[in-house]
Amino acid sequence: MWICKNKLLFKVIFSSLLLIFLISCSSDSGEKNVDQFTNTSEKVLSEKKNNNNNIVSAGKQLNVLYSDPPTLDPHRAQDSTSAGIILEIYSGLVSLDTNLQIIPDIAESWAISNDGMKYTFKIRDNAKFHNGKKITSEDFIWSFNRAANPATTSITAEDYLGDIVGVQDVIDGKTDKISGIKLIDELTLEINIDSPKAYFLAKLTYPVSFVLDSENVKNKNWTDSPNGSGPFMLDEYLIGEKLLLKRNPDWYREPAKIEYVSMNLAGGQAMAMYENGEIDLTGVGMADLERVLDPSSDLNKDVVIAPLSFSQYYIGFNVQKPPFDDKYFRQALAHAINKELIATEVLSGMVKPAYGILPPGFPGYDKTIDGLKFNEQLAKDMLAKSKYSNINDLPRIILSVPGTGGSAGLDIEVIIEMWKQTLGIEVEIQQVEWATFLQMLNKQELQFFSGLGWIADYPDPENFLDINFHSTKSTNHNGYKNEEVDKLLESARIEQDLNNRMQMYNNAERIIVDEAPWIPLWFPGDRYVLINQRVKNYKLTPMSVPKYSLVEIVD
Amino acid sequence: MWKYIVGRLVWIPFLLIAVAFITFILGRFGPGDPVEVMMGTKYDPVVAERIRSEMGLDKPVMVQFYKYIQSASKGDFGESFRFRGRSVSSLIAPKIIVSAKLSLVALLISISIGLPLGFYIAHKQGTWIDPLIVSFSVFFMSIPIMITIPFLLWIGCLKTNLVPCSGWGGIFDSRIIIPALAMGIPGVAGMLRIMRATTLDVLGQDYIRTAQSKGLHFFTVSTRHVFRNSIIPIVTILAFSLAGLLGGAFITETIMGIPGIGRFSVESIFNRDYPVIMAITLIGATAFVIANLMADISYSIIDPRIRYK
Repeated sequence: MWICKNKLLFKVIFSSLLLIFLISCSSDSGEKNVDQFTNTSEKVLSEKKNNNNNIVSAGKQLNVLYSDPPTLDPHRAQDSTSAGIILEIYSGLVSLDTNLQIIPDIAESWAISNDGMKYTFKIRDNAKFHNGKKITSEDFIWSFNRAANPATTSITAEDYLGDIVGVQDVIDGKTDKISGIKLIDELTLEINIDSPKAYFLAKLTYPVSFVLDSENVKNKNWTDSPNGSGPFMLDEYLIGEKLLLKRNPDWYREPAKIEYVSMNLAGGQAMAMYENGEIDLTGVGMADLERVLDPSSDLNKDVVIAPLSFSQYYIGFNVQKPPFDDKYFRQALAHAINKELIATEVLSGMVKPAYGILPPGFPGYDKTIDGLKFNEQLAKDMLAKSKYSNINDLPRIILSVPGTGGSAGLDIEVIIEMWKQTLGIEVEIQQVEWATFLQMLNKQELQFFSGLGWIADYPDPENFLDINFHSTKSTNHNGYKNEEVDKLLESARIEQDLNNRMQMYNNAERIIVDEAPWIPLWFPGDRYVLINQRVKNYKLTPMSVPKYSLVEIVD
Repeated sequence: MWKYIVGRLVWIPFLLIAVAFITFILGRFGPGDPVEVMMGTKYDPVVAERIRSEMGLDKPVMVQFYKYIQSASKGDFGESFRFRGRSVSSLIAPKIIVSAKLSLVALLISISIGLPLGFYIAHKQGTWIDPLIVSFSVFFMSIPIMITIPFLLWIGCLKTNLVPCSGWGGIFDSRIIIPALAMGIPGVAGMLRIMRATTLDVLGQDYIRTAQSKGLHFFTVSTRHVFRNSIIPIVTILAFSLAGLLGGAFITETIMGIPGIGRFSVESIFNRDYPVIMAITLIGATAFVIANLMADISYSIIDPRIRYK
C-alpha cells in the first residue's frame, strides 16, 4: 500500500520535474545554437581578415549598453532609442554628419527651384540595399507612399512629410499616391512642397523619409531581417538580451571600420559593467562623478566631455488657470529662483541655468536674451503688481511631476523652498504616473508642471518655438496665446532670408521669455562620458546621427 | 475523483473570461492611453485619432472585448502596442521562460535548505539550536532584496570578480548565482517555519506515540509517519510557488539586468501595452487555477483520508 502510493507521489514529482527540465533544456539549446552561430561567424571573419588588410579594425566589435528599440520600422519609429539603431541600418536621401550638417546620402546632389518649392534629387548610381538590389527613384516613391499610408500608423508622417504636396491626402485616406512626388527617371526624383520652407531638407534626415525595399516589407515580421541601405546590417536580435549589427561591406559611402556593434539590451549597472570591461562606453552619473574626475583614478584617462544636447528642462504654467493667468505672478516666481546656486550646489554643475528658450549652439541662439534673472526685490515687486498680491487669497497651488519614484527631484524641492522663503507662497507637489501625466498634460488639466524636457528633433528654431508656443499647436501645453508671437512664428516658417528668419525667431523668443509661460530651468551642462581607450573616433553628438561607421578600434 | 477533476476543469474557461473582462475594462477605463504614451510629449489629437482608428481602439469596448476573446481563444494574443509590429506571444514567451528558470532555482534553494532544516529543528525543540536557527532565518527574510543584491554584488563581482555583475545566460551560467541566492534565501525562513510548525504538530499526535511505542526505528518513524504528514501544508505553498514562477521578480530582474517577465510586465503597464498586460494576466490566472487544482489532487495522494466527491 505504502509503496504503491509512494510511486504515485514520485510520479507526480518526477513528471513535473521532467517538464521543467524539458522547458529549460529546450531554450538552453536555443541559446547555445546562437553562441555556436556567432562563433562560426567570428571564424569566418578572422579568415576574411587575412585576405583583406585594408580594413583598419577588421573583426573588431564595439560593445555598448542599450535598450530594446520599440520598433525597427523607420516609418513607425519616433523615439531616439529606435532612431539610434535605425540610422545605422537604413538611410535616406540626405543625412546629418556628426557636426549636424546636412550631407548627401543616397542622393548625391540636389537642386532647389528659385521659388524654393521644388527639390530635384539625383540618386547615387552605386546605391544598393543590403542584398545588393539597386536603389532607384521608384523605391523612394514607394517608401514615401508607404510612410504616409494610414495603414502604416506612422506617428511622424504629418510632422516630417506633411510639407510635401499631397501627403495629407494620403494620410487622410483620400488617395494612395502622393501627388507632389514625381519620378523623372530611374535616378532622378522631384519633390514639391507646399511653400518655401527652409527646414524641409533637415526633415528629410528623419527615419520616416528613409527608403525601404518593398519586397522585404511584404514579409511577416520583416523588421527581424530588414533589407536596409545603411552602413550596418542587423545580424541578430534577441529581445531583452542583445542586438548585433554587422558591417555592410558594400556600402555606397565609405564602409564602416569595425565589424560589429554589439548592443547589450539586458540592462544592468552601467558603471560596474564599464569597469568590468563588459561595455566600451557609459555616461557618468552624479554618484560617480567625483571618483571619475579624480586625476589619480584609473578611470580618469577615459573621461570625455560630451557636447551639450539640444534640450531644455523647464517649469510650465497653464496660463489659463489661476493663479498662473497673471503674467506678473509668473514673473515673480521666475525672479525668485536662484538658478546659479541650484546648478552649482545642488546639481554639482551637471546643468547650466537657462534663461532663454533656445539652447546655446542651437541655430538662432541669441546670447543677448537675458531672461528673468534672480532678484528677490523684483520678485516681491512683481507679486505686489499682480492680482494675487494678497497671498492669502491664492488658490491651492499644485505642481505636478511625472514619475513613480517618490521625489520630484532635488532642484524642484529647492525651488519650492525658495518661493516659500522669498514670496511666502506654498506649493504642493503631486507626482503622477507617466501615462496619466501625459493624459492630463494633453487635456491641459495640470495647473503647472515640471519634470519635462524638450529635446529638439532637428536643428531649427521652429522645432523649439513654433511647436511649443504657437497657439494652435497641440504640443503647446500651456494654453499660451499671443497674437504677435503667432504672427512672428508664422512668417518665420516661410521666410527665405536666413538672417531675417532668425531675427523673427529671436523677437518671438524675447516676448515668450518675458511673458513666462515657461520658466526655463536648465540646459544640460557638461556631461561626462567614459570611453574605453581602445575605441577611437566615437563622436558624441547632441542629436541622434549615424556614427558607428566612423568608429575605429585599436588594441 | 475524476468527476471532481472534470467538474473543476469545466469552470476554468468561465473563470478566465471573467479575469479577462475585469483586466480589459480596467485598462480601457483607467487613466492613461496607449496612443498618448506612444506619442509622448509630442501628442497631436488628429494623428492620435487616426492611429486609434487603425488599431481598432475607437470601437465600443464590448466589440473590442469580443474580438479579443475570439482571437485569444485561438491562441492569438494580438500585436504589442509598444513594440510595434511584434506579436505578443513572441515577446512574452522567452521572458516567461527566463523568469521561470530563475524562480525555479531560487525555489529549489529555499526548499532544499528550508525543509530539512525545519524538520531538524522541530526535533530540537527546547534546545538552543531551535531559536538560533529560527532567528537567523527570520533575519535573512527581513532584509529587503534591494539590500541583499547590492551586497552580494559587492562581494561576488566587485571585490572578488567571481561572477559578472549582471546579465543572464540560463540556469547553467554563473550569472544566475547572485539573483537566485538573493531570491532563494529569504524564502528559506518561510519554508523552515511552516515545516517546523507542522512537524511539531505531527510529533504530538497519538499515532506517533503509538509508532514509537511499537519500537519502530527512529528513522522509520521520521520518514514514514512524521515527514509524510507534515509535508501536506507545504504542498499548497509549493503549488502556488510553482504558479508564481511565471510572475517573475521585478526588483531582481531590474537590478541584475535579467530579461524576465517581471520587469517586462511593469514596463508594459507603464506603457499601457494592453495586449501584453492581458496575455500576462491570463497566463498567470491559468497557472494559478491549475496549480490550485494540482494541490487539491496531490493532498489526496499524500493523505488517503482526504477524498473528493
